[in-house]
Parts: sequence; structure tokens; C-alpha cells
Amino acid sequence: MDEIQTTMHDALSGLHRPLLEIAGLSVAYPTSRGWLRALDDVSLSIPAGAVLGLVGESGSGKSSVVMALLGLLGSSARVRAAHMAFDGQDLLTRAPSLRGRRIGVVFQDTSAVLNPALTVGSQVAEPLLVHRRLRRSEAWSRATELLAEMGIARPAQVMHCYPHQLSGGMKQRVGIATALASEPDLLLLDEPTTALDVTVEAQILDLLDGLRVRHGLSMLLVSHNLAIVDRLCDRVAVLYAGRVTETGAAASVFSRPRHPYTKGLLAALPRPHLAHPGRLSPIAGRLPDLVATDPGCNFRPRCAFAGTGCEQPQALLGHDHQARCHRVGEIARMPWPAEVSHGSPVPFRKRSVVRSEHPEAPLVQATGLSRAFTTGGLLQGLFGKGGRGVLAVDDVSLAIRPGEIVGLVGESGCGKSTLGRLLLRLVPPDAGRLRFDGTDIAARPGLDFRRRAQIVFQNPDTSLNPRQTVGAILRRPLRRFGIARGGAEALEIGRLLELVRLPPGFADRYPHQLSGGEKQRVGIARALATRPDFLVCDETVSALDVSVQAVVLNLLRDLRDELGVAYLFISHDIGVIAHIADRVAVMYQGSLVEEGGVRDVLHPPYHPYTEALLCSVPIIGKRRGPTDELRSTKEADGSATVSGCKFSGRCPRKQGPICDTAPPPWQEVDRGHRIRCHIPLATLNDVPPWLPARLPADAAHG
Amino acid sequence: MIAVATNATMLIATPRRLPTVLLFGVAVLSVIVVVAVIGIWLTPYDPTAFAVRSRLLPPSTAHPFGTDEFGRDVLSRVLAGGHLSLAIGFGAMLISLLIGVPLGLLAAFHRGVTEAAIMRTVDLLISLPPVLLGLLILAVTPPSLGKTIIAVGLAYIPILARLSRAVGLGLLREDFVQAAFARGEGALVILWHEILPNAWPPIIVECGLRVTFAILLGSALSFLGLGPQPPSSEWGLMIAESREFLTQAPWVGLAPGLCLSVLLVSVNLVGEGLREWLDPQLTEHSHG
Repeated sequence: MDEIQTTMHDALSGLHRPLLEIAGLSVAYPTSRGWLRALDDVSLSIPAGAVLGLVGESGSGKSSVVMALLGLLGSSARVRAAHMAFDGQDLLTRAPSLRGRRIGVVFQDTSAVLNPALTVGSQVAEPLLVHRRLRRSEAWSRATELLAEMGIARPAQVMHCYPHQLSGGMKQRVGIATALASEPDLLLLDEPTTALDVTVEAQILDLLDGLRVRHGLSMLLVSHNLAIVDRLCDRVAVLYAGRVTETGAAASVFSRPRHPYTKGLLAALPRPHLAHPGRLSPIAGRLPDLVATDPGCNFRPRCAFAGTGCEQPQALLGHDHQARCHRVGEIARMPWPAEVSHGSPVPFRKRSVVRSEHPEAPLVQATGLSRAFTTGGLLQGLFGKGGRGVLAVDDVSLAIRPGEIVGLVGESGCGKSTLGRLLLRLVPPDAGRLRFDGTDIAARPGLDFRRRAQIVFQNPDTSLNPRQTVGAILRRPLRRFGIARGGAEALEIGRLLELVRLPPGFADRYPHQLSGGEKQRVGIARALATRPDFLVCDETVSALDVSVQAVVLNLLRDLRDELGVAYLFISHDIGVIAHIADRVAVMYQGSLVEEGGVRDVLHPPYHPYTEALLCSVPIIGKRRGPTDELRSTKEADGSATVSGCKFSGRCPRKQGPICDTAPPPWQEVDRGHRIRCHIPLATLNDVPPWLPARLPADAAHG
Repeated sequence: MIAVATNATMLIATPRRLPTVLLFGVAVLSVIVVVAVIGIWLTPYDPTAFAVRSRLLPPSTAHPFGTDEFGRDVLSRVLAGGHLSLAIGFGAMLISLLIGVPLGLLAAFHRGVTEAAIMRTVDLLISLPPVLLGLLILAVTPPSLGKTIIAVGLAYIPILARLSRAVGLGLLREDFVQAAFARGEGALVILWHEILPNAWPPIIVECGLRVTFAILLGSALSFLGLGPQPPSSEWGLMIAESREFLTQAPWVGLAPGLCLSVLLVSVNLVGEGLREWLDPQLTEHSHG
């Protein structure tokens, strides 16, 4: 019955009307202070077969859009819309019967979406049983087909697996298969690749692109990552504090942004293909209060172009490429201004950076560091059942010179963090030597090493003790190392806060009263309190929004210039590494595979793994190029060989049996640039560069 | 969704309000504690004086809670015995807190042999039912209030040790503790400055609930004749003595039973209120 009606409806109105149409959607949540307006008059539409990208930073309300479309906002939320229709049906009332059936959804964290107690097969087959009323055996075979279509190797076996047996990328493929099982017309993708490695992310994006071409599927891609939105979407809507600030064709919005916020976002983004002489351009300030909303432009307090008249209410203006800005005409040709460099306060006496006679002498020198993690407890150990465990870091040698920033890249689980902790002696090594400033460091290092080598963490929420004020957090290292006492202490805390560009009043605040970027800066100030010579930055900017990330990256770079601190900068983001690092080390399964100056590593010759990483990086304006066939959409089915090259299982340029049997040698390309591979350098040199010579988006960068 | 809602409000620091449950619980508990402590002087009759003529009298204006089989005023006995029950509950909790928490935190900090030694000993304690443990201690020596407190306290060490070990293990993985390791801080400094301030909310909440169980267990031991001895009027003991006349004179057991219930409910309310107040997961950063 229902289906006949729908088909008739399609025939009558089908092609003229967009598949999804939202007009004037407002969502508010009750708080103790009043209604929090998460979405304010949002209008979007997706024609059949099109992909719309919804871009915004955390708190912009993008997840609220997804939840509103699914009718999952909960009873306390206030949802109002002038018009919200999917294929002619009112979503405000019909959402429960459409979701999962005609609207599929893929969430960011698939490990939380998949039930750990059920097999993959039963979870993929469930929508087939419920929504399509197939018989059990039919559903099972259809689910197996779906997994095969998602590029999963050996789907029949995977059907019997439990979620914990799959990798993150496999789980996301299963998540997509589940969403597609009921053959929906619209797929909602809520940050579908945010938790994945860049190589896996590229595979998932290829898969989604293929699905869209093959099935004519419409999609709504919600993401904070501008580059993947550009990769997959036809049109894009930029969301800021609950309002759509700019919308238009993806190519047009990213190459000629009209709204100041979009301009700012693009300027704050570190991009690996653009030479950054120095600083990024962050967006100052923070998200506006969503309870007491501003009737005028709500980006005004952070806008570099704000003037009189901006406090007036405004609407989206323009024909195809719309922007919500009063001064859109005046500022059309003006780029987002670069951050003014703070005339460096130089709170510490500027130390002589290079203290030895040889300026090239490394500050940190690791030789043959190894560390394995054993599984199982004491009893297994006693009975010899512990085994060798996982080799997290395998014979790594690395040198870092004073004042040098060494970037460390690699996929999650490759041992980056363990290497960082080995260099700080926070984790004892199984083998290898560590020298710091010319002296050997013992297994239990003395206070002098502890003072001079410090760490900054990834997660701003866990890096500060929630029960101590910022002042107490900064005071502890000062006392510990006898740097300041009594009255000098308060003075020193003030200087540290000034160093990380925070007002002195922050000393009395508790961590939960700070924003993510502010917490991260307190974490940096704590590490700097000991006046270190060497900092390990473990994914320090990964948890931050683009605009805040730019602030922290600029700060770290300034601190290096002012204080001469050397960094080991661990990151999975090639753009960030290319922006900040002087040298780069590429790590794969516990071993370094390439090491060299940042310009050398980003250009051929490079290790096949470096090449795979670089080709996977989504870049605004980069369309499918000749390098794309390097990665198949299939999940890599490589198990590391013990004796040969660890990458041989996944390597697209595998030479032959030698890759499986003999450990690859280090080949010196240039002074300080070496590659660990069997392939002759001449062959590697002929590899096409991963970047086209010029990208259209460069224009936007002013 | 909620994350979006709280993110913005979080930025404005709001002073945390005391939950009503906590205020109500604390109010009731303070009344009970005050009455129990000064109860000895409030008794309308001598709680131990026999009066053969007024045996097993039902509640009346002269004896609001009636009299027991020796003609003793039940109200006076309840007033005089309250401090014993409270002493068992809070004393035992204090013992298990002072021994269990350091043991648990040490086990979390020193993984390996120390941890195995501590936790297996604790497992051994768990394998004995609390009443049996009490029997072991009390059967070989003459019973007394102090020994009841020790027996009950010992019975609850494993629970607090395991809890604080679990909380400690989670906290030791946090970055701010790693930062303390990076400063080369010693074990005591890390446990005292970084771990304990963050570990105590769940521990205090657990203690609030443990007080309840400790009072019950203490009463059970008294009931078995292993606690304070007659003519003492510990509430559990009073209930035990009243069981022979339960059908003829239910008021003899009802009065201490009711008092015990009100005490337990109020302690529970305090525990619940503390959980609500202290647990940062419930009040503060629910963003994710």
C-alpha cells in the first residue's frame, strides 16, 4: 500500500522536487539559563543523486541537523521548521518510519554503533529482516554480498566475526553496509572518517564515491574536515553557531569564499602543498553564547571585517553561491588577515641555543631503541605463556638537533607515541641507547634530564588535573625543580601564562572553566615551566578545531624561535607536519621507513609507504589524479612478514620475493634524507609527484 | 546532542548547588547523631532498671515505645543504645577506609609483584563471608564493641581496596599523571597530589553506602551474640532479644528496628547526594 502510494507520488512530483528539503529549521534545548538555540533558521536541500556537505567546527550544530532529520532529538528538544520534507513526506511526523528504511545513517564511532555481543553478519542482516522482510537465508546471503561490495576481503568469513576482531576501517565498512542494507535513498554520514587513518579514510571516501556513482545515492556528509567535503560533495553549506553562513557549489565556496568565516577557516588550515613561510591565520575568540543569541551577525565579535551595520539582522544573499554577510561585496577581494605577531615578550633570558662546539651535534640521540608490550598478567608470565608480545618500537635510531622540529608521522598503532615516551624515558626500553646533550641517560634518569625534556599531550580534557587551579598546575614544576619560590613564583606563573598568550587572571581558574584551546595552552605552559630544551608534542593539535589549531601551531613555532626548544612533533596530519616541521620521520609498524628534510620527504623519491600516505591526504581542490590507482578501495590484507620489509604486504611497488625475505637497507638519497627500501633510488625518483603542479584553491590563499 | 547543549553553557562557570537529597539526608543524619550522642542524658527512665510490674506494656503516654520483658522503658533503651550502632557503622567504615584505600592505590601504582601480593590477600578476605569473618575474630576472644568494629571494618577492606585500585588504575593512565612522571615525581607525591584528589569522590560515595552495610552487619553480629553484650542496648541486640515476644509485644523490636531504618535511609540519602554532588560525570563535563 505504502509503496504504491510512494511510487505514484514519485511519478507525479519526483524529478522537480529535491529529495530532501529543509526550510527554516530551528532546534533549541532547554538549559537552566533558558533555551539554547543549537540551530537557527537552517535551510538545506539535496536533489536526488546529489551530495551535500555540511561543514562546521564543534558546537556549530551540525550533529543537531542529523538528529533532527532522523527524529532522534528527544522530547526535551524544541524542533520547529517551516518545511521539512523527504521525498514529499513530512519529516517532523514521519521520521521514525523513514529512518533506517529510506534514510540510512553512518556515525563516526562505529565501534560504539556495532553491538559487541553480536556477529557482524547478524547486524548487517537485521535491517534486511526487519525492513525488507527477507527470509533468514536470503538476508544472510544478501548481507554477504553487501560486505563484498564494501570491498571487504573474505566476506563470508567476516560475517561470522565479532566487531572487536575487525580493524577501524573494516568496522566503518560494516557500518556503511548496515546503513545500505535497506537500500535507502539518502545516506546521512556524520563524520564518517574522523576516527580513521588517512589511508583508510581515502579508501572509505573512494568507496562512498563509487556507491554514489553506481547507485545514484544521495548523501549528506557532515564533517569538520573541509578537504574531504571538497573531495566528495557537489554542494556545501557552512554552519556557524547554528546558522548557515555560506552555501554554494563546493568548488566555488572553497576557491572563492565569500563569508569571512569561510575565509578564516581556509586561512587557518595548514596545507601540505603550500609553502608556509611562517604563520597561519587563526580566527580569534570563541563560539558565541547560544542562549542569549545575537539577532545580528553572530560571527561579528570574531570577524576581521566587522564594521557598523553588522549588528543588523541579515539573510543569505546571492543567487547560487549565497553568503550571510552585510559586507560581502566590499570584502570580496580581501583575504583573511594574518595574525599579528606578538612582539615577543621574551620572559626568560634568551639562552644560548647551541651549547656545544659543534652546531650540528644532536641534542637527543636515540640508537636502536626497541620496546615490546607483552599481554597477560603475572601468572602467565610465570608459566612462560606471556609470549613476545607486540613490538611497538623496533630498533629505531633518531637524532634531534637543538631548536629543531622533527615531525613523526604514521598510522595509529604504529608506535609513534611509544617512541615519544621512550625518548623521555617515560617507558623503559627493552634495548637501545639514549643520549641527551652528549651524556648517556640511565634507565632511571636524574632530575636534570626530567627538567630539560618535557611532554605536551593530545587530549586537552585529560592533560590537566581537574582538581587543581591553573596556578597550582604551573606552580608544581617550579617548586619541583627549584626554579622559583615565594614571591617569584607568582611572577613566574604570570610570565608563563603570558608566554602562551593567556591573561594572568587564568591562574585562579579550574580546567573545566577553560575552552579546549586554552587548556592546551596551559598544558604547553606547564611543560615550559621547567625551561626545557626538548619537548615531545604528542598529537598536540589533533583534538582541536581548525581555528584553534592555528593558534596553537603559531604559538609552538614562536616558542621555538624565541626559546630555541627542540620538538618531536607527533601527528597523523601531514598538513600540520608539513607546516611546522624542519625534518620528518615516517614510521610504519614500529620502524622508521624514511627520514629527511620536510621538503625532501614531500617530493620524490619517497618510500612507497610515504607515497601511499601522501596520496591519501585529502586536499582542497585536488580532484582524482593519476596517483589514485595506488590505493585500491579494498581493505589491505597484509600481515607483516617477520624477516622482510614490514610494508611488503601492502606495498603497491613490491619488487619480488626479496621484499618478504630480506630486511630492506637504508639508502642515502641526499645529505640527511634516507629511505629504507629495496627499490633502487633511480626507480623511486621516477615516481610521479603526489601533487599536481598547481591547484585551483591556491587562489583563495591570497 | 547533549554535547552541543552543554558545550556552550560549560564555558560560563556556575557555582555548583548542593543537591536536595544531600541536604535532607544530612539534616536527618545530624538529628540522629545528636540524639544518639546526648541520648544517655535524655532518657526518661534508667535504661537498665528492671520493673517487674510493668513487663511488656504496650506504648502509652508513660512509655511511648512500651516496655520490654524486664519492664525496661524501650524509648530509654533506644536512646541509650544509638551511639553503639553509630560507632559500629562509622568506626568500621573508617577502619576499612584507612587500610583499604592505601592498599588499593599502592596496588595500582606498583603493578606486578606488589599488586599481586596485595590483591590476592584481599581476594582471600573476600572469599570469607563477612559474618564468618566476624565469627572467627569474635569466637576466640570475649566479644566487645571494639572487636565488633574491627571485625566489620576488616570485612569491608576488600571492597574499598578493589575500588580504589580500579579508580587509581584509570587515573594513572591520564595525561596529567604522565606529566607528573615526566617531572620525575615520587610515588607518594603522585598518589597524594594527582591521584587522591580525583579518586576520593567515588571512594567517599562508596563509604556512604558501606556505613549502612556496616551497621547492618554489626547488628547482625550483635544479634548472633557476638557484639556488645546485654544489658547493653545496641539496636541490633535489642532486636535480637525481642524476637521471643514478637507476637505478644511487637513494639519491643519495632522501636529499634524503625530507628535503624531511619538511620540507614538517611545515610543512604547522604551517599546518594554525595554521588550527585561530587561525580563530575553527572554535573560537569558531559561533552564528548
